[in-house]
Amino acid sequence: MSQLLPYLGVALLLLVVSGLWARQIFLKGKSRIELLLPRKHRGTGGNTASHGDLGERIFSLEDWYFVSRYVPSEIQTMFLRERAALAISWLRRTRSRVSLVMRSHVAAVRQTENFRLGPELKLALSYLFFLVLCDLLIGWIWLRGPVRTRKMVGQTLRTVAWLRGAFEQLMARVDPATCNALRTSFDHRAVRD
Amino acid sequence: MFGQILWWMEIAAEAFILLRSINARLYGKYLSFFIYLTAVLLIDLLRFSVLTLHPNVYAPVYWYTEFLHAGIGYAVILEIYKQTLNNSPGVVRIAQTFLWGVLGAVILKVMSNAVSRPLWSTATMSVELERDMRTVQALLLAGIIALLAYYVVPTGRNLRGIIFGYSAYIYSSVVSLAFGSLPGHGLRPGWRLVQPIAYLAALLIWSYALWSYSPNPAAGTESKIDRDYKFIAGQTRRTLARARSFLKLGGEL
Repeated sequence: MSQLLPYLGVALLLLVVSGLWARQIFLKGKSRIELLLPRKHRGTGGNTASHGDLGERIFSLEDWYFVSRYVPSEIQTMFLRERAALAISWLRRTRSRVSLVMRSHVAAVRQTENFRLGPELKLALSYLFFLVLCDLLIGWIWLRGPVRTRKMVGQTLRTVAWLRGAFEQLMARVDPATCNALRTSFDHRAVRD
Repeated sequence: MFGQILWWMEIAAEAFILLRSINARLYGKYLSFFIYLTAVLLIDLLRFSVLTLHPNVYAPVYWYTEFLHAGIGYAVILEIYKQTLNNSPGVVRIAQTFLWGVLGAVILKVMSNAVSRPLWSTATMSVELERDMRTVQALLLAGIIALLAYYVVPTGRNLRGIIFGYSAYIYSSVVSLAFGSLPGHGLRPGWRLVQPIAYLAALLIWSYALWSYSPNPAAGTESKIDRDYKFIAGQTRRTLARARSFLKLGGEL
């Protein structure tokens, strides 16, 4: 019976990749990067800062000091629970942005004639590693709470800002028209997967 | 009797798809695939005539033509690769590496089997050879489908139908041949019907998918893409490294 395992393994592999591809085709409309044009235009300057301000405001220790000193324990628990949810949401947002960069990359590479297998494999592994780390970190925040992760939140804010810059740079190179649309959409936080 | 009905239905479906392909001018657009289908139809007609006129030689004819059937199945894989990678030069490179790797592995496997096996039996060897050939086809199909999914290569209804139909058939063939090659399982009627049923299902999928010409969508926006791979790869790698280092930092806090 053990001699069957390689054949059944290959058959299972075919079944799994076919299923994933079918799912991708089925969800194509939903998974396509959707650009929503802004209803009203705001200045593009200072948006990174506004993201940072928002994050710092949400995850600020001042809030925690206030809550821990002046409000009852039920409110403290509620505060921590809500902040944990926000931290997780923030990480998921970061992950979705990196996924967007990666998807743009594979779309670009598909058309590239001077394709390099080695770097591409490294990139795919890095991306996979990033996703796994992201999920681990989400679990870590869920277990330990948002207050103990405040340094990480600071890093997150900076990284999101940097990611946005890198993404725009990449997109500007890949497709300037889409980049302009994306920049506007990012400014209004209307980029959806 | 059920097997006979399946057989007639298969012949009718093959003839129908081929006639439709000529009528809809699809034959030349998917030449390798329709050559495969024509060959399979001819093999079926040959078997049918041999079974009717000379039933005593049906068994050897069946095994030799079964080998031919499995071998010509590579035409479908060829068609899928050709159609898929037409507009994706980047993916061609990775597909070529994958194909050469699989081909090398198969050659090594066949050579090692030939050296290690002292005796050859037509029926046993045919089943095992077909099983191995179908397994390689399954690997090649899995590889190309993984590339299609990873690089989100746009595909039309025709190509999707060819891939899904043939994948279903190959999947069923590998499983049934693997179990069929076990001692005592090969003669069970249930296993012998799996392949014809799966093939009929594939024919039905092809009948629907190849009703009219539906080419792969052209990648309109990609025409503007800068083709500097090093830049694209470098940017994405830096993005990932930065994000990963941040996550590591967060994990240490």
